[in-house]
Amino acid sequence: MHIPDGYLSPQTAGGMWALVIPAWYWAGHRVKSTLSSRQAPLVAIGAAFTFVIMMFNIPLPGGTTGHAVGGTIITIIIGPWAAVIAISVAIVIQAVFFGDGGILAIGANCFNIGFILPITGYFTYKLLARGAAPKSPRRWVAAGIGAWVGLNAAAFLTSVEFGLQGELFNAADGSALYSPYGLATAIPAMMIPHLLIVGAIEAVMTSMIYVFLMKTNASLLENYAGVKAAAAGGFKLKPLIVGILLLLVCTPLGLLATGTAWGEWGTKDISREIGYVPEGMASLAGRWQGLLPDYAFPESEEVAAAGMGGASGEESGGSLVAEENAAESRDPVSFDGMRESTPAYVVSGILGLILVTGVALMAMRMLTGRSRGKEHLG
Amino acid sequence: MAEQTRENHTIYSIDAVEYRYEDADALSGINLSIKAGESVVLLGANGSGKSTLLKMLDGLIFPTGGSISVFDAELSEAALKNEGFSGTFRRRVGFVFQNSDAQLFSPTVWDEIAFGPLHMGLPPEEVEKRTEDTLHILGLEHLRKRPPYHLSGGEKKKVALASVLAIGPDVLLFDEPTAGLDPKTESFLIRLIVQLTAAGKTIVTATQDLRLAAQIAGRVIVLGEDHKLAGDGPAAAILGNRKLLLTANLIHDHPHRHDDIEHYHPHSHLKDHHGREND
Amino acid sequence: MAEQISTPAWMNEPGKSDSLSMSAGRSRRESAVQKTIMGMSEAIRESVFSERIAARPGLLQETDPRIKTIGLLGLLIATSFLHTWYIVLAIYGLTLMMAFASRISLGFFIKRVWLFVPIFAGIIALPSLFNIFRPGDPLLTIWEFGGELTLGPWSLGTSLAVTHQGLKGAVLLILRVATSVSLAVLWALTTHWADLLKALRVFLVPRIFVLVLSMTYRYIFLILGLAADMFTARTSRMVGSSSPREDRRFVASSMATLLGKSHVLSEDVYSAMISRGYTGEPVILHRFRTVAGDWLWLVAVILLGVAALGSDRLIG
Repeated sequence: MHIPDGYLSPQTAGGMWALVIPAWYWAGHRVKSTLSSRQAPLVAIGAAFTFVIMMFNIPLPGGTTGHAVGGTIITIIIGPWAAVIAISVAIVIQAVFFGDGGILAIGANCFNIGFILPITGYFTYKLLARGAAPKSPRRWVAAGIGAWVGLNAAAFLTSVEFGLQGELFNAADGSALYSPYGLATAIPAMMIPHLLIVGAIEAVMTSMIYVFLMKTNASLLENYAGVKAAAAGGFKLKPLIVGILLLLVCTPLGLLATGTAWGEWGTKDISREIGYVPEGMASLAGRWQGLLPDYAFPESEEVAAAGMGGASGEESGGSLVAEENAAESRDPVSFDGMRESTPAYVVSGILGLILVTGVALMAMRMLTGRSRGKEHLG
Repeated sequence: MAEQTRENHTIYSIDAVEYRYEDADALSGINLSIKAGESVVLLGANGSGKSTLLKMLDGLIFPTGGSISVFDAELSEAALKNEGFSGTFRRRVGFVFQNSDAQLFSPTVWDEIAFGPLHMGLPPEEVEKRTEDTLHILGLEHLRKRPPYHLSGGEKKKVALASVLAIGPDVLLFDEPTAGLDPKTESFLIRLIVQLTAAGKTIVTATQDLRLAAQIAGRVIVLGEDHKLAGDGPAAAILGNRKLLLTANLIHDHPHRHDDIEHYHPHSHLKDHHGREND
Repeated sequence: MAEQISTPAWMNEPGKSDSLSMSAGRSRRESAVQKTIMGMSEAIRESVFSERIAARPGLLQETDPRIKTIGLLGLLIATSFLHTWYIVLAIYGLTLMMAFASRISLGFFIKRVWLFVPIFAGIIALPSLFNIFRPGDPLLTIWEFGGELTLGPWSLGTSLAVTHQGLKGAVLLILRVATSVSLAVLWALTTHWADLLKALRVFLVPRIFVLVLSMTYRYIFLILGLAADMFTARTSRMVGSSSPREDRRFVASSMATLLGKSHVLSEDVYSAMISRGYTGEPVILHRFRTVAGDWLWLVAVILLGVAALGSDRLIG
């Protein structure tokens, strides 16, 4: 599931960095307030452990072997925030020193596997295990389901990122510039094995580890509850979800086009989709322009605005209006649109992101009422 | 000057200290004082609480009852939160851990030795000088750029020692320093501890190795299996007290061979070959 | 005085005269446990090997780690923006030249990159060559269906063909992946890992992350060692083959044990750190000094990167 370099357009890779940095910032902040000076060794060794268990081959029925990620079990023990950083650190080391996953793709890989996986996995576990007795089987079942959900959430996001490349980043003659498949191919190709096999291994292994720990080292499973209790101020899930949703909705980077693609997927030919920007998107682009009147680059305001709308690259001449007929005859889509819109696209993306992050963080802060954690553990 | 410190100053005074961990006593009713320039050996069997006591002396854990004072100030969690106090305390007291792997967390030997001085706020030039000097004293120059996982057990111990000596502490705490060491490094370590004592450093060593105690200790404190003080006195007197050592489970007898005759007599384990203890 | 330990009779028996013959049992298929041990020792060997290359004198080894990081990362980003396959190929040529100047054996360098590429790029690129997966102008028709072929709701068109666009896209993808991997390999191979992590400070990576990264890298090897010991102990005790089910149980239990050990270790490391004055605010000391040659290299790399992007635009 580690995306190598070369598969994602720089726009997508950059967008994923823009998503993961606030996630790291937030996680780092939470970890610092709960763990204080203890964070470095705990997170580092958690990361080293994660790295090592990703190397474990797991025997599958039929004689083959697979790998587990172990993200969910690590999260249950060291807590979601420390886990976000620990798994991210493991991914960075895999990419830099062991060539597993790309360097520019670190943003995407860390967001998918380092953030979405532990967060969805952990909260699924919490939800299902709520109120269960310490020795209750519901706990290890919940851990397994959490691991399955987390892994599949990460795989889904990865497949969407892959699929967007095929949808959005193609040369004038229709040849692929990055990963060649659209969403209709990428999602099932990635999800079928993950839902059925990879997710199942992850779930089974997580449950088994959980059971072993219940028998031999039960206090470890309570470790994070202890840490959390020691630090004042509980954790609030809702503001985080609100923040992430805001980011996902508002980020004017290639990701936004998910909406476009989802609306059309399966009903129209993929090639017809190219060049289509829904009206809502167009008006959003217009609003962005209103907010930042000077960002547009001299060549063509229209092009830049289209780029901001998210459906970059393939608009014929940067036209914002849906052009069913243009798509009909697989016209030579202009490549100029993309080239000219790229700088504006990136600049607008970064500016927009700073703005959105600021708003999201403020919103989160207001929602939590900010009872800051104590600086030291008891 | 050294003479004066050696004779007069009390470094640690430990008053009715106890430590409970998960509803079990790890230490109880400990009263002690340790003077500047002493070389003290804490003798005790596995689980007697000697490591716990040593960790308390380094302010890593805190008594659940009683109190410890160091350099005429109370050593407590609250006191260590004060930057001024903790800065001075950490500079004056160094701890050599039993598990060198836990102590060596930096990317290279050089970075490891520089870590202490660097985090005590010394200027970069001074950090470099101290690091180089320490490398030289311990003959570790050739390992400068090595990552810790490419070192032998003996080399790891030397680097761990260097990383503590670079801070320039007055008080050195050693936890099972000779456990698992090769004979050459062990004798090097013993000579070094003797030299450091001669130079006026205060040394507290926790061990169950009676031979080590005989070679480095001026004073021996015995912790019994009941987690209480079982004996305290000059090294010769304590190490000659067979009954005391037997009750503290520091010596026992089992068959062994002298030439071809297998026989029994009370007998001490000269060396601990068993990894770390978890007390 | 001491009690005699009574040993059962079988323990005192001398070994039976079983010969150590290879044919006695069927040789087993390589088990997951053995695979894991091999993977782990491979990782350790790899790191030793790359440290050795980093210690050699050569162009990139002698470049300031910060400058090198900026330059190679710049090239990586430039590569990701290129749309013309032969310009990507030119950058790949540049990585070969840099590898040569850094005294990395070209055979090794090429093999290392291209052994990895087919797995990650080849398999994925292959289907995209054909018109049934991506529409395009047929370049080489393999099979005329003789009418529209449908598979349930999907139409497969009237023929199976390798398309012009498919081929172009696949070539670009593979070259881009290979070039990106080459740049990353150059970076990691020619830099001591400790310096590489310190160099990340150029990108404003917080100090705490640099510290955590360096500690992680260091402890990976310790935990790998612990894991390898557990796995080796298991293989040495194994008689005959174990079922995948037992193997799975073993893998899960060793993961759980390792997790417990790692946690104890992190507590010990924490004690060791605060004992030496760590308060949660890491201090990082590096002794990097740039010389004129470093800047010259950087300017050259930037010029080449800009030239590549510029010509890509002109051609595209």
